[in-house]
Amino acid sequence: MGPFELNTTISNLRNLRESDLSAYDAVYLGNIYCRIYEDNFLERLDDLEEGIALVKGQGLRAYVTSYAAPRNDVLPKVQKALETAAAAGADAVEVHNLGVLRMVHEQFPGMPAHIGGFANVYTDAGAEVLKEYGAVRFTPNYEISLDEVGAITSGVGMPAELVVHGKMPLGVSDYCFLLEYEKNWPEKCPTLCQKNLFLKQGDWAMRSVGKGVLSGKDVCMLEHLPALIAAGHNVFRIEAAYETPAYRLNIAKIYRAALQRAAAGGWTEDESAWNTIREHTAVGLCNGFYFGRTGAEYVGKRTQPAVAC
Amino acid sequence: MKASPLSTAKGCGIGLPKGCAKLLAPAGNLEAAKQAFQAGADAVYVGLKGWSRGGARGEFDRKQLRLCIELAHALGKKVQLAANIIPKPQERPKLLRQLAELADCGLHAVILNDVGFLREVRRKLPGLAITASIGCGALNTSDALFYQDLGATAVVLPGYVEPQEIAAVKAKASIQIEVMLHMVQEFIQLGKCWMPSYLNFAAAERGDGSQRLGGSVKRGGVGSCFRICQQPWSLLKDGVEADRRLFPSRQISQVAELGEFLDAGVDVIKIQGRSLPAEMVGAIIGTYRAAADAWKCGQRSDQRTNGNRAALPVMWTVQGR
Repeated sequence: MGPFELNTTISNLRNLRESDLSAYDAVYLGNIYCRIYEDNFLERLDDLEEGIALVKGQGLRAYVTSYAAPRNDVLPKVQKALETAAAAGADAVEVHNLGVLRMVHEQFPGMPAHIGGFANVYTDAGAEVLKEYGAVRFTPNYEISLDEVGAITSGVGMPAELVVHGKMPLGVSDYCFLLEYEKNWPEKCPTLCQKNLFLKQGDWAMRSVGKGVLSGKDVCMLEHLPALIAAGHNVFRIEAAYETPAYRLNIAKIYRAALQRAAAGGWTEDESAWNTIREHTAVGLCNGFYFGRTGAEYVGKRTQPAVAC
Repeated sequence: MKASPLSTAKGCGIGLPKGCAKLLAPAGNLEAAKQAFQAGADAVYVGLKGWSRGGARGEFDRKQLRLCIELAHALGKKVQLAANIIPKPQERPKLLRQLAELADCGLHAVILNDVGFLREVRRKLPGLAITASIGCGALNTSDALFYQDLGATAVVLPGYVEPQEIAAVKAKASIQIEVMLHMVQEFIQLGKCWMPSYLNFAAAERGDGSQRLGGSVKRGGVGSCFRICQQPWSLLKDGVEADRRLFPSRQISQVAELGEFLDAGVDVIKIQGRSLPAEMVGAIIGTYRAAADAWKCGQRSDQRTNGNRAALPVMWTVQGR
């Protein structure tokens, strides 16, 4: 790995083919929320195999994610996806469910496991347990601050993967209420959840993706990248599972250039980047819980653009 | 196959001895515990002041907890202690000390949420039974095996899992299975929600050696979550309001299907609701007790239902957890 890794999430082969990945180092394949998401890699294993080959063919690392909250009926499919990942040469699997982590540990002992954000890593003690199950990297629970993340990485000796841009996951459900609208809307499942859908209450907004709820605002850590690099972090994610290929590319180009400047110690702001970020933001920016504040707040020099969704 | 890295469970949970499921009642105060025991609960679970996922409402201080343990022991019953918000690293020693003191006073079991702290308690307090909280988000057989490996005595599953799922878990796992058969199912799965703290991360509230984080279900408790999911939201499609709605939620009351769950091998029937009034706890427990007693312990039921859902208190609502 170079001085840093920039990665993203892509749910299906169509999206993968449409995406220019030149600014990325790695891609997570699959949709963690819903089995019937349009041609979800985790259900279409031939696509998954092809997707892994496509990603690796571009010189990138291919990771396979897994469902955030699988019940027993899903485990056989998870098993098949893990087998496909291993056979096709995936570089790691991402696990959000501790039962799935146990499956990886027991049945695919050579496969590196990345712990996902729904696995609830809040503390060094929790991370230590997961490390013993083969975890080599963790996405901290989104609620904890950078100070707390730092205490875990230094205490456990396991790198953290940080969402630096995109819509932060806020919850996962067993039920898709968007299906209630199918009979009255022209949009239908399995593409219904890809539409521009927000839940709003006063100034609060969240993005609905059916079985998941994401932050309405985009997490943006652009101006804080030098501090992240200085703190020793080097794995960064642009969370773009429900975004367009244009978003995926344009945001990544900004972050890649900025990370290169920060890693070289020559940090300068690129004003034009902020215009691009604003163009790709529906309801504004936040930086999640990294500074110990309300997740929807933005801490930094930049004021968040107020844009109606 | 590679061996699991951690030792297996010790201790004796609420569900033992095998063969007949135990009834575990919520108690937010001593009166609720008394009513629960009178109505037939085998055990109650209570919150430890400052430390329970159920939030600050209805927690016991150590004096009240000692009285509750004495009451339970006098009746031949047990107490589980909910200490299931996730403690910060600097808080763990304080909580561990409290648990050690309470174990010395006869506390039977503790409900925990964080895998790291769970393992620490298993190693340092080997005589204390440990339940992996419903906030751990366990849903499947492999989850149950994970917590079994870790040394938990029991794991809680939500009441919307089907009896055949429980039977599948029981076929492979020896850990006790508690199922919250009477509960509110919110839209977001238990243990997987941080919508409230995204919208409002309130000032910290200091508890008894703990520092609750308002807005965080995982670190502050349910009572601090501002009821985000119970408020009306506008659903905007392409920027235009398409609907005004609540998040879906429903009351789960599996008393009418209790026989199927008991046939599946449930070890502990758990009832949600530490904030419920004592008389309502008593009424709910009495209804489940009658249904459990009607099911012949250890014999398969050939009837689909044996519980009377209509006998449950009508006041039980989504707001009444």
